[in-house]
Amino acid sequence: MFSPSKPFLDALARDFRADFVSFDSSDLREFGRDWTRVFEPAACAVVFPETTQEVSNFLALANQHGVPVVPSGGRTGLAAGAVARDGEVVLSLARMRRMDAVDLTGSALRVQAGAITELVHQHAAEHGLTWPVDFASKGSSQVGGNIATNAGGVKVLRYGLTRHWVLGLQVVLADGRVLELGGALEKNNTGIDLRQLFIGSEGILGVITEATLKLSPLPGKLDVFLFAVDDLAAVLRLFREVRRAPLTPMAYEFFTDVCLRRVLSHRALRQPFAQPSSHYVLLEVERGEDLEDWIASLFDRDLVRDGVLAQSPSEAADLWSLREGISESLSATGMPHKNDIALPIAALEGFTSELDGVFRARYPGWEIAVFGHVGDGNLHINVMKPDAMTKDEFLACAKSADAELFELVRRHGGSVSAEHGIGLLKKGALPYTRSAAEIELMRGIKRVLDPKGILNPGKIFDQ
Amino acid sequence: MKILVSAKRVSDPNARLAISKDGKWIEGDVEYILNPFCENAIEAALQLAEAHDGTETIAVGIGDDETARFIRQGALARGIDRGILVTADEAEIDSDLIARIYQGLAYREKPDIILLGKQAIDGDSNQVGQLLAEYLGWPQATFASKIDIEGNEVIVQREVDGGLETLALTMPCVITADLRLNEPRYASLAGIMKAKKKQLDELEIDDLELEDTDAKVEIVGMSTPTGRKAGVIVKDVDELLAKLHNEARVI
Repeated sequence: MFSPSKPFLDALARDFRADFVSFDSSDLREFGRDWTRVFEPAACAVVFPETTQEVSNFLALANQHGVPVVPSGGRTGLAAGAVARDGEVVLSLARMRRMDAVDLTGSALRVQAGAITELVHQHAAEHGLTWPVDFASKGSSQVGGNIATNAGGVKVLRYGLTRHWVLGLQVVLADGRVLELGGALEKNNTGIDLRQLFIGSEGILGVITEATLKLSPLPGKLDVFLFAVDDLAAVLRLFREVRRAPLTPMAYEFFTDVCLRRVLSHRALRQPFAQPSSHYVLLEVERGEDLEDWIASLFDRDLVRDGVLAQSPSEAADLWSLREGISESLSATGMPHKNDIALPIAALEGFTSELDGVFRARYPGWEIAVFGHVGDGNLHINVMKPDAMTKDEFLACAKSADAELFELVRRHGGSVSAEHGIGLLKKGALPYTRSAAEIELMRGIKRVLDPKGILNPGKIFDQ
Repeated sequence: MKILVSAKRVSDPNARLAISKDGKWIEGDVEYILNPFCENAIEAALQLAEAHDGTETIAVGIGDDETARFIRQGALARGIDRGILVTADEAEIDSDLIARIYQGLAYREKPDIILLGKQAIDGDSNQVGQLLAEYLGWPQATFASKIDIEGNEVIVQREVDGGLETLALTMPCVITADLRLNEPRYASLAGIMKAKKKQLDELEIDDLELEDTDAKVEIVGMSTPTGRKAGVIVKDVDELLAKLHNEARVI
């Protein structure tokens, strides 16, 4: 457990604003953790810079004294990438939330890293534009955190990952140097694209302080369908149909009846169907071609068992809540052990049939909630703690089952973390997806950018 | 049994409305939804029909072709048997004329129950059900939160200040639906496709041979609410307390 030295604390008190640092116990607890609840938070202080210069000054000081620093955004992460459990200083970007005017010619927007994702959406929407990085936690998550984790979400099928929507970055390195990477350039073919190094680096290489975001026109009116189907094979069959249908899919999400029952027990939402089904698909499309014949053909060919179409924006939001409320409802009504894996879409079917075997052997009779973004091969597998089991027993059991799950993922050419990242939580799983040579290269890059290893130590890999 | 039920469209409460140049109506690309209280009325009609064999349900909308879309997708797709569109310019009708239109429809269709939303969430007038009961001379139960049929009587529970009131009505009667009456079902895709083939008659107000077709209310002006002042972020609790005391004067 790290403990800050007196000279460091003195300098912190002497060289910064009075409200720059907080030692308040509720702040330490709140800013020391993210949405995972696996590790006990134990930060030694939280600092709240307001400018890039303050970030730079602070990191230079921390580097000089060898103080470990955890960069912190909206703390909605699910891999404990923003958890401070070893006496680190948390560097919160929460006060750096400036948003510049929208650049209508370049269709771009410069913001500070602490800008809330949803507020960025609202700001751009006033000009008919959007930053198409979208997920359930957008009301709390921040742009800097979105970029540092290369966030995925529910619109990846249509728009791709966060990485595609970042034109430029301002990054502060561990020693306080400030880098401007890319600016607002769409094209910049001048050697190694350093900006991409920081996207998805989970705060171990530098602190993102500002970003120039690439914007996209707001989509037109959207239609939201919910389909009831028999099994995962049917989810995939329907997906193949959607790929070839005369429509632009914005999202293709699925969840099981286990997820739906948890959501309905936690939230005041309507049952979508009179008869429950084992699997459900949420399809969002841009309203365009008349889809009547296509929908009729789905029923004629028994591709779907039942279906509803939202009749109003509020019904569309209700249907989306059934999907977006899952993660929150699982945590609120029990203790989930989460896995967020990705498979080549073509391998999903083979993988899931083998997965059933692992589940049956490892978790006989346990409640397992599976949902995900089929459109990009991403499955969220949540094993719920049985009531009779203690937390420690449960985690031990889940850990040993994970080894088997990850081996299965590896054999099918998948990834052990599709969009949640590695953080502390998936560190042990990294070798299932990245080779020893790759991990050694990552360590080398870390050493060049952060030789003293003060930035988010222990995340992704141990130095 | 025959039930006549309302399917009125209203402007989406979440949409930003623009006021027309003459200041008397809304304009622009307005997003519409089915009036939520009409959705409760429709759901109630469907549940009564499911519980009582041989019940015919008919949805009524007043407006243009867009209104017809709401009759089909909001009512027929959910399971209402057929629809009636009375064509009218929504800007030129008021609650009284709507009540008289329903009166004319009651003479034509001879329903046992007319089920309406308790009010439309855009105009918020809350008058049609009451006026209609008066014009027809039928018993009425407004703000219904529960409806049961026992013999020739309709037992309606309604929410009143401090509790519940239970009324027994003889049919034919007028009932207006409150939000807690039920949870409206989603329109199923199978229902939406069936709805395309269901009967939807179109009438003009003149076809109803009403004695009085004048609107009694004239809208003389509409305005948007005054915008809220931007908030301020206070630095600490002391500043908050000072502001609450000196500026807001609430403590």
